[in-house]
Amino acid sequence: MNNKQKSNHKKPLIEAPVNSVPAPRPLDSSLKMNLQEISSRIGKSSDVVVREFTNQSLNSLSMAFIYIDGLVNSETLNRGVLQPLMENITSESDSISAAQAISLIQDQMLPVGGVKECLTIENMLGLLFEGYTLILLDGISTGLAADTSGWEKRSINEPTSQGVIRGPKEGFTESLRTGTSMLRRRLKTPDLRIEQYKIGQRTQTGVALIYIQGLASEQVLTEIRRRLDSINTDGILGSNYIEEFIQDGGLTPFPTIQNTERPDAMAGGILEGQVGIIVDGTPFALLAPSTFFSFFQSSEDYYQRFDISSFLRLIRYSAFFVSMLLPALYIAVTTFHQEMLPTTMLISVASQREGVPLPAMAEALLMEITFDVLREAGVRMPRTIGPAISIVGALVLGQAAVQAGLVSAAMVIIVSFTAISNFVIPSLAIANSIRLIRFVMMLIAGSLGLFGIMSFLIVLLIHTAGLRSFGVPYLSPVAPMTPRYLKDVFIRVPLWNMAIRPKNNLGKETRRQAPNQKPQPVEINKKPQGDDPS
Amino acid sequence: MSKQTTSGNKFICCLLCLFVLSTLLTGCWDDRELNELGITSASGYDFEDNQWVATYQVINPFAGSSSSGGGGGASLSAPPFLTFTVKGKTIMDAIEKTNMTSSREMFFSHSRITVLGEKLARKGGITQLIDIFLRKQDARETVYVFIAQGKASDIINQLMQLTKNQGVGIQLMIEQESKLVSFYPGVRLYELAMALSSESKSAVIPEIRLTGKEVMNELTETNRTDLPSRLALGKLGIIKGERMVGWLSDKEALGLSFLTNQIQRATLSFASQPKVSQKPDASLILQEAKTTIHPIWAKDHYIMDVSVKGTGVLTELGSVMDLNKRAAISQMEQTVESNILGLMENSWQAVKKLNADVTRFAVKIHRSDRKHWKQIEKDKSWDTVFQKIEIRPHVEIKIVRVGLSNKSFKSIE
Repeated sequence: MNNKQKSNHKKPLIEAPVNSVPAPRPLDSSLKMNLQEISSRIGKSSDVVVREFTNQSLNSLSMAFIYIDGLVNSETLNRGVLQPLMENITSESDSISAAQAISLIQDQMLPVGGVKECLTIENMLGLLFEGYTLILLDGISTGLAADTSGWEKRSINEPTSQGVIRGPKEGFTESLRTGTSMLRRRLKTPDLRIEQYKIGQRTQTGVALIYIQGLASEQVLTEIRRRLDSINTDGILGSNYIEEFIQDGGLTPFPTIQNTERPDAMAGGILEGQVGIIVDGTPFALLAPSTFFSFFQSSEDYYQRFDISSFLRLIRYSAFFVSMLLPALYIAVTTFHQEMLPTTMLISVASQREGVPLPAMAEALLMEITFDVLREAGVRMPRTIGPAISIVGALVLGQAAVQAGLVSAAMVIIVSFTAISNFVIPSLAIANSIRLIRFVMMLIAGSLGLFGIMSFLIVLLIHTAGLRSFGVPYLSPVAPMTPRYLKDVFIRVPLWNMAIRPKNNLGKETRRQAPNQKPQPVEINKKPQGDDPS
Repeated sequence: MSKQTTSGNKFICCLLCLFVLSTLLTGCWDDRELNELGITSASGYDFEDNQWVATYQVINPFAGSSSSGGGGGASLSAPPFLTFTVKGKTIMDAIEKTNMTSSREMFFSHSRITVLGEKLARKGGITQLIDIFLRKQDARETVYVFIAQGKASDIINQLMQLTKNQGVGIQLMIEQESKLVSFYPGVRLYELAMALSSESKSAVIPEIRLTGKEVMNELTETNRTDLPSRLALGKLGIIKGERMVGWLSDKEALGLSFLTNQIQRATLSFASQPKVSQKPDASLILQEAKTTIHPIWAKDHYIMDVSVKGTGVLTELGSVMDLNKRAAISQMEQTVESNILGLMENSWQAVKKLNADVTRFAVKIHRSDRKHWKQIEKDKSWDTVFQKIEIRPHVEIKIVRVGLSNKSFKSIE
């Protein structure tokens, strides 16, 4: 019967399309058959170790263990699985059955944390690829899987893309478990929920949904769960795969999901009712729902005093507009609205433009594209060639181009200021969307002037006002306006003044701390009490 | 069904794209690159042989361009501006003729000053000029207006030291002057238009002149410390109706500034002890002064009650005096007051002689006595009424500080 089943299965397996997953196949009671099936599934991979053995204390039943070299921690394997199984501890009885043997092994012999019972081949293989060691016995259709996983991991490092001056310096690593443990350490509440998903038929990437029960909105959660469940792809290799599959807006240039490398930023978001998504294999985790303004908040804002944080936040917003509009404004003013500049400025700009062979718009486009080429080269190039590129970039393209009269000095200033402004924005996601919009702006400014710039800004405003992130309006709490949530949008008020959760009314619980916590000297606090006759 | 809708969507998308792209086509027609523009910083207008003679000062972008020179100070090889003198039957005729000699389109939005030749002003070309400035889109009515006794083109051609851009330089000059010494008010073209269209139908325009005879229009000539011929503010031109009718001297202009509440800061010299000597030996900076005018109808003529209140700081003292005594200071205050009274009286006489109401009394009377003003307007008798006006000035000046020393150096000696 088994043979029949097998032959029935084999044919469709070969002809099946790439993405199809075979129906689960139960284990056979014969060890030989099981091993044969497993090795036929895996093929002859060099890193799979299959070893058959017997143990006298277990009635000399023929047994086998399978593991993948590199995915298991050899010490755990040796001490937790190999040693107890291969040593002759007891000589209890010779007439032990396979079923008794397997429960004996599961209950008494394996000193490792997780031991699972498996009934199907697929289940066993899934665990095998997670670093479990499979133990199979002859004569029973149940297998055991002992958690011996352990592989080379990157140690926890400082986040490379989102640095802070004062604040925690650890970032997520590629390991999902490390990520969840970092959040557990920060949020020691029983309400923290970590739901695990496996997404991607071939990669079987672990994806963890992290939120605090009661803070995260149930609607948002069901929506995220639904979207995660409906992802049907064969591979998830980074958090952007998840982001693109689940984010709202589809073709919008604006991101509606934040990504962060910082566990503290994620913990902060979760405490404000957002839902975190950690994807195995990438240090970048996701936070949703995210509004436009959350992309301008850096975790540094909460690690330094509120006054300087507010100032820096306003600078970020202005840098956003500078980065989007400055080259466009330059083009518009120099080709259409020369009367807008102060005379002395116009004269100095005009004298610089003298002898520049290109019209202002071509000049601006050329320089902006040059900068993006340089930037891309800076990301790609090997470390050792770095200085050479920066010399070529800074000296040859900047200074020499001006001296040769190909571009005007004002243009170089504008391009560099635009570029620097772009880096002020804490979130790379929204900074990148601005990079694209800037080019559109420049083309429009070159043909329609300030009128075009204003029209396009209005189009952008309409577009962003229509966006939603998992049901939350993208421009909230500004549009629709909710004044009490404005305490953490353009400025950050002191922490003791933020009695309600500052960003959104996501969950039910909006109050997060006691009111009136402004620190004051004892005497002032006592005064109202002094009125009491005591 | 779904296929149809997608192809329909595609069609709509294409249409939308075409529509959006076609809007781009409408744009570029009026774009002007900076190196196609001749930025005009000053203009001068004369009238010769029944033709307008216009002189335009165009900023030379090659002068002081650091991009081509590679840094450092401005090179002296190129003049900071170039001038074009053109003739035409109308002003626009002249402007358009510049396009036959210049590679660049005249761009007037950054024009700072405009200079009228005296002949033109006396002939009555001001109204046409004001009209073109108010009507033409790129002309700015915020330009400062000046009158030149000779040819306006000479003024426009003159190079300036310290400021490369002469138009801007003259603007700075008049702004500084009206802020610091208050002899002449800076008159912008719209102010001129407003004054001429007001009840008094008169206006003032300051004179700009050359201190020497020659025109310094070569770079080598301005390469010296003491220029033999510089630009300077001279007198005050009086316009009545369409024509210029005469001049006020600088003293009379200062008196007019007192009469018209245009003193921002002024320096007055006076005799500290008029009983001992009439020679001015002290000076005072008037820090603020406010003039209020109340017209009073006295049966057959108007009496203008002019009261000037101000405070000042003593800055110079050449006689023996003890400033700790209140009497000494009030004596000086009295002298200053009588000086100002004299200035105003002089100025009033000069204005009366020209019969041009630059004191803006007509506006005051209209505002305070509308009924009577209507009668005057009806009878067109303003000129005679104006001639009969009597002014009754009061001056109250306080010396609030005497500087760092309480005694004059002469008394310590």
